[in-house]
Amino acid sequence: MLKNLLKKENSVLWIIAFASLILPFAIDNRYYQDIIILTFLWAGLSSSWNLYSGYCGRLSIGHAAFMGMGAYSASLLSINFGITPWVGMVVGCIISGTAALIIGGTTLRLKGTFFVLSTIAFAEIMKTVAITAKNVTNGSLGVQVPYDPGFANLVFAGKIPYALIIWGYMILVIFICTRLEKSKLGYGLIAVGENQQAAENLGVNSTKTMLIAYVLSAMLTSIGGALFVQYVRFIEPSTIMSLAYSVNFILYAIAGGMGTAFGPMLGAFILVPATNLLRGAITGVSGLHQMILGLILIGILLYRPDGILLSIRGAMNKRRARAMKKEEEGGGDDAADGR
Amino acid sequence: MEQLIQVLISGLLSGGIYALASVGLTLIFGIVGLVNFAHGDYLMLAMYIAYWFFSLLGLVPYESMLLNLVIMAVLGYLTYKLLMERVLESSHSIQMLLTLGLSMVLQNLALMLWRADYRNIRVEVTNSTIDIGFLHLGTAKVIGFAVAIVASIILYYFLQKTYTGASMRAVAQNGKAAQLMGINLSRTYCMAFVIGTVLVGLAGLLLSPIYPAYPTIGNSFCTLCFIVVVIGGLSSVPGAIFGGLLIGVVESLAGYYIGSAFQQAAYFLLFILVLVFKPTGLFGHKG
Repeated sequence: MLKNLLKKENSVLWIIAFASLILPFAIDNRYYQDIIILTFLWAGLSSSWNLYSGYCGRLSIGHAAFMGMGAYSASLLSINFGITPWVGMVVGCIISGTAALIIGGTTLRLKGTFFVLSTIAFAEIMKTVAITAKNVTNGSLGVQVPYDPGFANLVFAGKIPYALIIWGYMILVIFICTRLEKSKLGYGLIAVGENQQAAENLGVNSTKTMLIAYVLSAMLTSIGGALFVQYVRFIEPSTIMSLAYSVNFILYAIAGGMGTAFGPMLGAFILVPATNLLRGAITGVSGLHQMILGLILIGILLYRPDGILLSIRGAMNKRRARAMKKEEEGGGDDAADGR
Repeated sequence: MEQLIQVLISGLLSGGIYALASVGLTLIFGIVGLVNFAHGDYLMLAMYIAYWFFSLLGLVPYESMLLNLVIMAVLGYLTYKLLMERVLESSHSIQMLLTLGLSMVLQNLALMLWRADYRNIRVEVTNSTIDIGFLHLGTAKVIGFAVAIVASIILYYFLQKTYTGASMRAVAQNGKAAQLMGINLSRTYCMAFVIGTVLVGLAGLLLSPIYPAYPTIGNSFCTLCFIVVVIGGLSSVPGAIFGGLLIGVVESLAGYYIGSAFQQAAYFLLFILVLVFKPTGLFGHKG
C-alpha cells in the first residue's frame, strides 16, 4: 500500500503540502505559528525562483528585487492612497513583471556567468533606488504598515488568517510548477537549460521560453513580497532587497532539489524552522545562524548537490532496480523448478 | 575646472586600489575559472588583520604588510585546498553558490567574532593630504596608488618572466593543452588562487587607513571587482587595471556631481550598459 503510494511520488508530496496546513491550527503558540508562516512564505518564494532558475539551470541572484517591488507596491499604495493591498499586490505583479520583461529582454541572452552577474547588478540598482527615492519609499528608514486589522487591509490580529493566505500562496506556486513541468513551456525550459543550441535546433524559441518563465517567476515572487510586508508589517530596503535574501531563495531550492516542483518546499520545510529555532535558541550571538546557513549551503553543495528530493529519488530507484533484479532472478529459479 | 581635475585625480587614485583587487579576481577567474563571490570578504579579512595589528601591537598597516600578506596567502591556500579544489569539475552554478556560501560564512564569522562595530585605523596618513598646486590628495590614497603600481609591475614581471607565470598564462589560454605540455595544473590553479587572494588582501590593507573595517564591507567591493573584471574583459589583466581606474573615476565623478548615494548606481549602470552593448568587455577577445 505504502509502496504503491510512494511510487506516485507527487501524490505523497502533495499530501505533505496539504497536511502542513494542520500545523498552525494544531500548535497554539504564536512563536511557533510565526515560524510556520515564514516557512510557508519562503517555500512559496523559493518555488517562484525555482520556476525560472531551477528548471532552466541559470541562477538569478537578484530575486530579492522582485520581492521588494511587491512589498513596496502593496504597502505604499495602501498607506499613501488607501488602496487595498490586494490591489497593490496586483500592481506589484504588473510592475515586477514589466521590470522582468525589460531586464530579461536585455540580459537573458547573456551567457551563464554574465547573466548571473547582471541579476546581482539589477538587484543592487533597485536597492539603491529604494534607498535614494526617499520621497516615495521613505529611504533606508523603511516602511511601517499601520496596525489596522481587517480583510481589506490584509492585516490581521491573529496568526491563523495569515497562515491560511500564505499557505494558499505556497500551494498556488507549487501547483503552477507542477503544471509547468507537464507543459510545452516547461519542456522547452528544461531543454534550453540542458543545451540551448540543441533545443533551438529542435525548434524551441529559447529567448521567448526563458522570458515567459522569468516574468512569471518575477510576478509570483512579488506576490510573496506583498504578503511578506503585510505579515511582518515593516520593511527596509537594505534587508528585503539584500543579497542575503536573494541567496535564501536559492538555498532552500538547492537543498530540496532545483528544478523539481516540490524541492524548494521540502528545503524550506526543513531549513526555515531549523534556522529560526536555532536563532531563537542562541540569542546574543549575532551572525551565528546565518553562518550556519552558509555552512549548510556549502555542505549541501559538496556532498548533496542534487538536493534532498533527487537524492531520495535516486536511492529509491536503486532500491527498486535491486528489487526488480531479485524478482527476475527469483522468476528464473521458479521457471527452473517448474521444469 | 580645478574641481574637475581634483575629482578626476582623486578617482584615479582610488581606482588604482580597485584595480589591484580586481586583478586578483581576474587571475582567479581567468586561470582557475572560478567566479569567486567571497573575493571581497578576503579584503574584509585583510582590513581586520591590519586593524588588529594596529590596535594590539600599534603597527601602522604598512608596517604589518608582510605579515598580513603571509596570513592572506595561508588563508587563500587553505580555501583553495579545502573547498575550491573539490568543485573544479562541477557546474558553474555550483561553484558560484559555493563561493556565496563561503562569503556568508566569512561575513557572519566576522560578525560573531568582532561584532558589527566600525573599526577605524586612525593614523597620520588618514587625515593628512599631499598638496600639489591646487590639488589636495589624501596621503593614504597616494601611498595606496603607489603601492598598487609597484605591485602591478612585480606581477607583470612575474607573469612574463618566470616559469610559473608563463604556465599561468598558458593555463589561462587553454588548460588542457597546457596540461599536455607538462604543466602541473593543480599547482598552477592553487598558485593563481593564492596570488589572487594576496592581491585583494593588499588592496584591503591599503584601504584600511581610509575606510573602517566592518563585516559586510566586502560586499560592495566584491560587486565592484566583478564590474571591473567584466568591463575589462574577464580574463585580461591590463583590462582589469583599466577597468579599475575607470570605475574609480566614474564613482568619483558621480559622487561629486550627482550625489554620493548614486556612486554605486552609476557603476552598476555602466556595468549593465557594457553587458548589453559589449558583453565581452572593453578588452575582451571574442568567443
